[in-house]
Parts: sequence; structure tokens; C-alpha cells
Amino acid sequence: MGHGNRTKRAVKKSALNSVIVCRCEEISEDEVRQAIKNGYHSPEELKRILRIGMGHCSGRGCMRVVARMIEEIAGIPIAKLQFPKSRPPVKPIKLQLLGQYRYESENS
Amino acid sequence: MSRKTADAVIVGGGIIGAAVGYHLAKAGFKVTLLEKKFPCAGSTGRCIGGIRAQFSHELTIKVMLLSIKLFQNFKEEVGDDIEWYAGGYLFLAFDEERKRSFLKAIEIQRQCGLDVAFVSADECARIVPGLNTEGLIGGAWCPTDGQANPFKVTFGYLKRMRDLGSKVYTETEVVGININKGRVVSVVTNRGDEFFAPVVLNAAGPWASEVGRMAGVSVPVTPDRHEALVTEAVERCLDPMLVDYRSDGCYFLQHYGTGHIIGCYTPVPLVPGYRLDSSDEFITEMPRRMIRLLPKLSSVKVLRQWAGSYEMSPDGNPICGRTSIEGYFVAAGMSGHGFMFGPAIGKLMAEMITTGKSTIDLSEFRLDRSFTKSEAMR
Ligand SMILES: Cc1cc2nc3c(=O)[nH]c(=O)nc-3n(C[C@H](O)[C@H](O)[C@H](O)COP(=O)(O)OP(=O)(O)OC[C@H]3O[C@@H](n4cnc5c(N)ncnc54)[C@H](O)[C@@H]3O)c2cc1C
Repeated sequence: MGHGNRTKRAVKKSALNSVIVCRCEEISEDEVRQAIKNGYHSPEELKRILRIGMGHCSGRGCMRVVARMIEEIAGIPIAKLQFPKSRPPVKPIKLQLLGQYRYESENS
Repeated sequence: MSRKTADAVIVGGGIIGAAVGYHLAKAGFKVTLLEKKFPCAGSTGRCIGGIRAQFSHELTIKVMLLSIKLFQNFKEEVGDDIEWYAGGYLFLAFDEERKRSFLKAIEIQRQCGLDVAFVSADECARIVPGLNTEGLIGGAWCPTDGQANPFKVTFGYLKRMRDLGSKVYTETEVVGININKGRVVSVVTNRGDEFFAPVVLNAAGPWASEVGRMAGVSVPVTPDRHEALVTEAVERCLDPMLVDYRSDGCYFLQHYGTGHIIGCYTPVPLVPGYRLDSSDEFITEMPRRMIRLLPKLSSVKVLRQWAGSYEMSPDGNPICGRTSIEGYFVAAGMSGHGFMFGPAIGKLMAEMITTGKSTIDLSEFRLDRSFTKSEAMR
């Protein structure tokens, strides 16, 4: 199955000239900056409002940039920020492959 | 310790707190909403965004018909695009007993004016191309059910609420509620602030019993862990929410805006408690169940799994209304359907708080009921 939606999404965006911060979800620096200015001052909230860090790399590429932008724009030190949990699986895995694995519970 | 005042204090920044807060602010109340972490940190940020009026309980159906109207009009009324999409809900029946229970519910749903029917297995395969119809008898199909983005709905309400002059405090936990002569007086936070208000609403979702206890009110809500997963975004391949109620079934939908497929199943036995860890069992079991229903998904990749709490009431219906303490209201125990109930419950609870009466009578959902009428389409 193809990835039709993502290309469509990128073209729809107005911020084509701005630097991309989240490559997986194609979220631009302008969008992050605007959201922080609108009062979303934590990586957790920015993730939920922008989908930043919700793509294939689960935030490995962008969260540090996001943290630096929050520090710069909202003046909150990085050490004070709460980051989203990393969720399994660590890398995207096909449904079929996951389904082949038979989980055996500890007591069976 | 600082002392502040408000017309109403809301405890909890999930969909319910946000929706009631918005409607109160719209009615002219100065609202203060207190959230212990950040908006959507509770169940709302963990739900999969399904919205349906296919229930078996008349009041629930009526509430949901109102909610769907509010989702449809959200952009005009509140201002944000919440990615509402009427892709429908298809509940599958693999045995006669399930079919009978759907037919019974459909009768009530139609009396309430819902466009719903029991359709053949072939028709199910037309609605969901590629559906594995082995053993399938048919399905309960309602094309006007749908989906929306829980984050956008919640943040949208909170933003409008702020624009209307109300306040939202994040990272602020309510730790005490003061009562005097049977009336609510104020709430105290972990930051040492005290907020005085004639109205306090417990919208604490899975934590509603704790926040009830602070006022000496027993709110019978208990959390059950429910897990979910999301796949990468793929081309449009599934329109409705697909629900398989078999004991080894599951339910999932494709997010209309982005193309991600998102779903869960109800574990047997249930997993009571606040734990939110992710299990190996779910991440291997759920893919098998999804592929069994829709084999064409087998090469789609899973991006993430997580868990959240269903906030169960004893009968699976919401708990909404007044309590034995004057001015202390509760809107919780949405029993795994709080996102879809949100807009309607927000409007109706705000009416109850501002005028003493709601346009749809919610007394069947009151706290001091007997909890005997169970919902058949949980
Ligand atoms: C996996 C999963 C899938 C789901 N799918 C759907 C679906 O498709 N459709 C649907 O309608 N529903 C679904 N649900 C159910 C839905 O998520 C909930 O019913 C709904 O989010 C409840 O909203 P709420 O506002 O009552 O609670 P919450 O969203 O949990 O909000 C309560 C808030 O109160 C805060 N809080 C708690 N205690 C305090 C305190 N002392 N002081 C300050 N703040 C406090 C919490 O931090 C939390 O943010 C799903 C749930 C899960 C887990």
C-alpha cells in the first residue's frame, strides 16, 4: 500500500519555504514557532497539536530541535521540560511480521 | 498561598472538562479549569477518535445524536477544523445471538431517528472492500457515525474558552475541596493556591473517585487498562470504524485526514487499575486480529502502541449531574465513550449548571441511581 496522503499533505501546506523540523510528519519551523507563540509550551502538547514526533522516527529526529525552540521562544529551560515517552516498537514493523510472533504469557 | 475567585472551577482538562468549560464560558461564566498535567494527558489523548450513535440505551442515543450535530458544526461554532468525517460504523455479527442483540438495538435506534440497518455479509464487503466475510452473518451499519481528532476538539474548546475570558491552569493538581454546611466553597491546589467558587465540577475521568472523595462524595468510577496501536499513514483503504465484538475481535478505523490506521481491543479478562504499560501480548495479538478481518493490511507497518484507561461506571453509562454537596457537580465515568459524548455532555451539563435544567433530561445518568441498566453495545 502506498503513502499517498503524505505527498498530498505537503503540497497543501502554505509554509513550503520554511525549514522542516519533523521530516516524518512534514512539520515546518514556522508551524512549531507559531504553536509555541500560541501558548503550547511543552513537547507533549506540541506533539498532540502538530503530530510532531508521531511519525516513523517517533521524535528521534525532531524533539531536540523542538526543545531548543521552546527554550528560545518561551524561555523555559530544556531541563524543566517534560518529553513524550518513547513507545514500542522502536522501528515500524509490518502487521504481518508482528502477528507471526506468538506471545506466551509468563504463567502458561 | 494566593486566593482567587471564579464562577465555576473545573477539575480535569480532558474532553469533558474542556467541553463543559467552553459552554459555561459561552454562557458568560468566568471559568477556571485546573489540570494536573496538560490537556489530553488523561484518557482523551489516548482514545482513537470514534464517534457513533449506535447504542442500545435510548438516552445514550439521544445524547449522541446531539453530540454528532455539535461535531458537524464545530468549525462554525468553535472555530477549529477537528477532522470530523462521517465514515460510518460497521458492527459485525458472526453469530445469531449477536445479530439478535443488534436487531434489538436497531429498533430502539430507529425510533430515535437514527439511519441504521442490519445489512448482509455481501453488503458489509461492499462497505469495506477486502473484508474477510468467512463466518460473517451481516452487520449493523450506520453511515452517519464517524470520527474526529480528540486533540483538536479538546484544544479547540480550551482556546475558545480562554478567548472568552476564562482561565486554564496546567501542571496544577487539585488536592483538596473545602465544604461548609453542605455547600462547596473552594478547591486547593498542589501549588498552594485556593480557588473560591459556588460551582465545582469533577471532570477527572479515571480519577473521578479520588476527586469525589476530596468532597466526601463517593463516585463509583474505576479504571480499566485498554491498549491501542497506530500504523503508518497509507492510502485510503477503509471508510468506517470496523467493530468485531467476538472475544478475540478488535475495532479499528482509518484516520481520514492523515491515513493512519488506529485501533484496539477489549482484553479478556479486563485489566483493572491505573497501569498504563504496553504489553507484548497486545502488539502481537492485535495485528493477527486486524489481518484476519482485513487481509490487505498485512504489509502495513505499526508505528506505535500505547495504553489508556477506560473510566468505567458500574453499568457502563455516564455519571452526570448534581451530588449531595450543593454546587458540586460530576461528569465522569464515560466508560470508554467520553470523547464522543464530550460535546453533548458539555452543552447539557453547562445548561444544568447555569439554568438548573438541561434540554435533554440527564436524570437517568445521575449519581444516586441504582446502576442496573447495562449498555449492550459497549
Ligand atoms: C485505547 C482507548 C480508546 C478509546 N477510544 C474511544 C473512542 O473511539 N471514542 C470515544 O468516544 N472514547 C474512546 N475512549 C474513551 C475516552 O478516551 C474517554 O472516555 C474520555 O477521554 C474521557 O474524558 P474525560 O475528560 O472524562 O477524562 P480524561 O481525558 O482522563 O481527563 C481527565 C483529566 O483530569 C486530570 N486530573 C485528574 N485528577 C486531577 C486532579 N486531582 N487535579 C487536576 N486534574 C486532574 C487528568 O490529568 C486528566 O487530564 C477510548 C479510551 C481508550 C483508553
